[in-house]
Amino acid sequence: MTGLPPTEFVLVARHEPPALTVRVAGELDYDTSEDLVGAVVEHLSEAAQIHDVHLDFSGLTWIDSTGLSALLTVHRHVGAAGATLHLDNRPGVLERMLHMTNVLDHLTAPAAGGQARRFGEDDGTAGAGATS
Amino acid sequence: MRCARCVPLMVSAPHGSSARPRDADLGVGAAWAEAPYPVLVVDRHGGLVRINEAARALLPDVADGDRLHEKVPSWLSQAHRRLGDGPRDACAGPLSGSINDRLFEAHPTSGADGDVVWWLVDETDRRLAETALSDAQVRSEVLAKVSSALLSTLNVPRCTEVAASMAAEHLAEAAVLVAPPQGRRHPLTHARRGGPVTRTVRQVDVASVPGLNEALQGFPPVPARWINPDDIPGWVVPDGFAGPVGSVIVAPLPGHGVPAGALILLRSSTEQAFTEGEEVFARLFAARAGAALSAAGLYSEQAAITETLMRELLPPSLHSVHGVEYAGGYRASKNQERVGGDFYDVHPGSDPSQETLVVLGDVAGKGLDAAVLTGKIRNTLHALLPLAEDHERVLGLLNGALLTSHHARFATLVLASVRRRGGRVQVRLTSAGHLPPLIVRTDGTVEEVATRGTLVGALPTVTANTVRTTLAPGETCLLYTDGITEARGGPLGDELFGEHRLRRALAECAGMPAEAVVERVQMLAAEWLGPGRHDDMAAVAVSAPRNGPLTVVDGRAHGRDSRRKT
Repeated sequence: MTGLPPTEFVLVARHEPPALTVRVAGELDYDTSEDLVGAVVEHLSEAAQIHDVHLDFSGLTWIDSTGLSALLTVHRHVGAAGATLHLDNRPGVLERMLHMTNVLDHLTAPAAGGQARRFGEDDGTAGAGATS
Repeated sequence: MRCARCVPLMVSAPHGSSARPRDADLGVGAAWAEAPYPVLVVDRHGGLVRINEAARALLPDVADGDRLHEKVPSWLSQAHRRLGDGPRDACAGPLSGSINDRLFEAHPTSGADGDVVWWLVDETDRRLAETALSDAQVRSEVLAKVSSALLSTLNVPRCTEVAASMAAEHLAEAAVLVAPPQGRRHPLTHARRGGPVTRTVRQVDVASVPGLNEALQGFPPVPARWINPDDIPGWVVPDGFAGPVGSVIVAPLPGHGVPAGALILLRSSTEQAFTEGEEVFARLFAARAGAALSAAGLYSEQAAITETLMRELLPPSLHSVHGVEYAGGYRASKNQERVGGDFYDVHPGSDPSQETLVVLGDVAGKGLDAAVLTGKIRNTLHALLPLAEDHERVLGLLNGALLTSHHARFATLVLASVRRRGGRVQVRLTSAGHLPPLIVRTDGTVEEVATRGTLVGALPTVTANTVRTTLAPGETCLLYTDGITEARGGPLGDELFGEHRLRRALAECAGMPAEAVVERVQMLAAEWLGPGRHDDMAAVAVSAPRNGPLTVVDGRAHGRDSRRKT
């Protein structure tokens, strides 16, 4: 009995100022989550003037709690850069998880007035103006 | 001479004279006189007829006409006599022996008039090279053996014993391994060749052994010739060591960053002193032993830390409390780890009229990192017990306690406050981003409890709604983590166990006691997994006990006290 090979995890980033789009395909889990955070952070630090970060999940096949943790981390970095996170083309598995854990509104809340707050200064509430 | 092996080719083609005609006596006569090898021409009676220049340099006091047996070592003169006596069995092998501290092979050829021409070939350097080569081979073999023996254990005492006994066996007559101090005392491991290995922990003066203090601090070793064997104190010498110490090597055991100790090698005065080559080898040996000991040390330290933490973090064993049955099951993601990111607790009410709080949750991540956070959550919830009337408030306070700026590690959990009223059990359930609990009714229907809330530890504020429900006798509420529904396996190997299979399994568990439900769910998930990797899996069942005698459900016998797996 051999398992089917899991879908390859692929990240494709496209930078069209003022938007950054990262296509996430495959399984976002314990093994791949750090790649996503790394990719977004890298682009945020390299490119100035990003107002919107779109994560395109049309190719996402699976997400687990570590993957969700990665999304929360990405959200912090995006908020710290004064940008707004968008979760596009959410498949059922992601939708269910966001619904169950009640974090969709938090993740996609508009950036707090565009003023970049420094990441890590305010107990994890960076860029989370809409939920407080 | 008929024996080809005994006739060097040079007889007829001497060095530097190949242009000469191959005329027998004249050619040979001139050739051997100039040959770069010592050549002796001896008559059949043992009288030296002539010797060449090279032979004269080797045996300065020999002159033509001397008797062979008076001037050369007996191995050569006897060989000559045997040659004259008759059967030519001297050809059985090359003759060899020493002349003036050098080693020669002697090859006889027949000359004119029954004389024998002895060609002597200096074999000293070749023998030395051969010995050095075989020594080197033995040493690399020993090093390979040492490495595999040392690396086969991560137990520090065992590793120390192996290092000391191998050092005594291959390097010296006795070896003492001095480990870094534990407080004021040093663990000492003594080994004697052919003797037992003994381990002691003693307060010793390391400064009394020349070079030991430096070795223990990881400084380069002091050359053996600088160490006076008479300076070696008694505690170094193992019991039963033969005679006074003759030579000593003190070698540091280099570890990962910090020295792993020092190795002292001893030889008694009756043995040959350590050579420079042996000293180099001892250092190589010490380097391997040090690396192995250091690895074992690091591992033991980690294992001890994990053990300490695990004692705090292991899930509790559950039982009946105030007339309600509780059962829990847990399987960590890695089989060798007993703790992970899932957790559960049951905090009994102070008396049957008070609610018992059940907690089951899941921290994002795996292994020790996750386990440490579960510990924090469990402790915080324990402290918040008096506020358990209001689940949402408890979750809000817990969320505040968990928020950190360092990472987005969060937890999802379910709170269940349980109290028995008459034969029925009242339950208040609140999910904080967790999978909704499932309730198995007596008729086999499985209901999902419609509670929903925000996960804790990541967002500044959380909200949650609490759902009240009642369990009739024989009904069970199951709290579980996604490790069960996300178990990958099945006939295709990569399919999720899924909620529908869990519901189907639960439907068959109608009327079962809590423990049987948990065991059944765990067994099915484990079967589904096969050998595949999996996340942590935890489940807690809360059951309203059936009253009365054994009943039959689904063709199989179950009673409230049944402990049988089905």
